[in-house]
Amino acid sequence: MGTVIAVISGKGGVGKTTASANIALGVAQNGKKCAVVDFDIGQRNLDMILGLENRVVYDMVHVMDEDATLNQALIKSKADENLFFLAASQTKDKSVLNETKVKKLVDNLKESFDFVILDSPAGIESGFEHTIKFADVAIVVVNPEVSSIRDADRAIGILDSKSQRVKDGNFVDKLLIINRIVPDMVQSGEMLKSEDILEILDIKLLGKVPEDKGVVDASNQGKPVILDKNSVAGNAYKRISARLCGEKVSMEDIEALDRGFLKKIVGIFT
Amino acid sequence: MQGNQYSVKVFEVSIEDEEEFISFFDFNHILFTNRLIVLHGEISDNIREYLNSKSLCFLENIDLPKKSARNIVLESGITNTDKKTKEEIEKKVTEEFDNKLNETKQDFEEQKAVLAQENKMLEAKLLKLLERLKNNLTVLDHMIRSGQELNIDGDLLLLGRVNSGATINIEGSLIVTQVIEGAIRCNGNFMMISSSPKANIVFNNIEVNSEQLKDGLNRVELKDGEIIITPILEKEINWVQL
Ligand SMILES: Nc1ncnc2c1ncn2[C@@H]1O[C@H](COP(=O)(O)OP(=O)(O)OP(=O)(O)O)[C@@H](O)[C@H]1O
Ligand SMILES: [Mg+2]
Repeated sequence: MGTVIAVISGKGGVGKTTASANIALGVAQNGKKCAVVDFDIGQRNLDMILGLENRVVYDMVHVMDEDATLNQALIKSKADENLFFLAASQTKDKSVLNETKVKKLVDNLKESFDFVILDSPAGIESGFEHTIKFADVAIVVVNPEVSSIRDADRAIGILDSKSQRVKDGNFVDKLLIINRIVPDMVQSGEMLKSEDILEILDIKLLGKVPEDKGVVDASNQGKPVILDKNSVAGNAYKRISARLCGEKVSMEDIEALDRGFLKKIVGIFT
Repeated sequence: MQGNQYSVKVFEVSIEDEEEFISFFDFNHILFTNRLIVLHGEISDNIREYLNSKSLCFLENIDLPKKSARNIVLESGITNTDKKTKEEIEKKVTEEFDNKLNETKQDFEEQKAVLAQENKMLEAKLLKLLERLKNNLTVLDHMIRSGQELNIDGDLLLLGRVNSGATINIEGSLIVTQVIEGAIRCNGNFMMISSSPKANIVFNNIEVNSEQLKDGLNRVELKDGEIIITPILEKEINWVQL
């Protein structure tokens, strides 16, 4: 039985889809069979970042309505044979999901994959609730800014009250990714420190991802940034993926990296 | 001329020994309440006063024609006829007493029922109060997250943070050991809170100036409609001096 991970944030645009794609690919590269599912109904994004947008024939709703089998709908990644992708429906009707259908889909995926990663839509509406309902673990993505932290806090609160695991008396592990950290700004006090964020949210730190222009380029090219050995964000996602696979990878103090040092690294490889 | 005619029973007596007379009336005066006592010869002030004190009707210094009188021997205390009257009166008195007693008993029972009812209500109230007291204190050891709203009837001891966007409405007193960044509406007797510059705290409908909260715990109370904030001092340790 695999682990179901919901990637959530509360606030939109903080990097859930980027995180989902990179982590999915990262654990696949670590030899784990992984399925990544786009739960952002009506707003396909993940297929683009994974470079699979033109290969979608059947989506998640087709599978749920049994218009297609799971095997027909799962798209194998070009980047790693352990990685499979299930697309979101493009329909504008968000009520296509219901609890029974979602549970069945998640249960099926769990049987054949080590990791099932669900990319949640922004907000705390029904789409979000369906994503977290049957998750074993939640990855909470935040940016180091007050509104993102507050919305994440809200999402965690709802997760804790709506999750099936919690209702069954179990615990949902919540892991934090602080994304788009700009070390200079943290040092100058313009950006929230990781310690402050952790104190507010009180969940485990999974990793810190620095701001990296390479992320946008990588996404545009359909090649997740984790494939770029020179990208600081990509390396951060590598460490995060290794941690998820049970490796003990020490936490890098990205905030301490000064620009000169970063420039030096960039200079060496470019 | 106008006259009134009464038909009264008359008790005629002459006083030989005043003490004897008084002790007789002490014992029997109730039998003479409806009678006219006719006394032979002059009587002393003492006797007059005594008869008045017993509210008895009497005439002194009068001799009635001997024929109409029945002789009564005082030594025997009471004559037969008087015995009958006494019995009658006693019966009447007993009856009246019984009636009164019954009435009082009834009143008593009624009052007892009312009291029992009140007692029951009081007991229920007390039980409720006890129950409330027992459940009055809530202890929470987790944080209150954004969007969460706690509504608490009694007192609360909160060991976690109150995050921005969280709300606590509380009727009782409040102790929060960690920082507050959300909203507090407290109507209790006191609050113990730490320095919380981002919090919005309203205590008994008055907004607390969070700038006045010092590091560590502060006691927040109301005195004459004004908020009093007292920082809780750290306990001083008296080290043993060698
Ligand atoms: N570490 C990073 N450095 C720079 N840009 C980043 C980083 N992470 C994400 N981005 C950019 O931020 C934007 C939003 O990212 P993404 O689409 O992953 O967010 P999202 O949370 O999935 O958004 P939505 O809520 O709309 O689904 C994208 O343009 C992405 O390339
Ligand atoms: Mg997204």
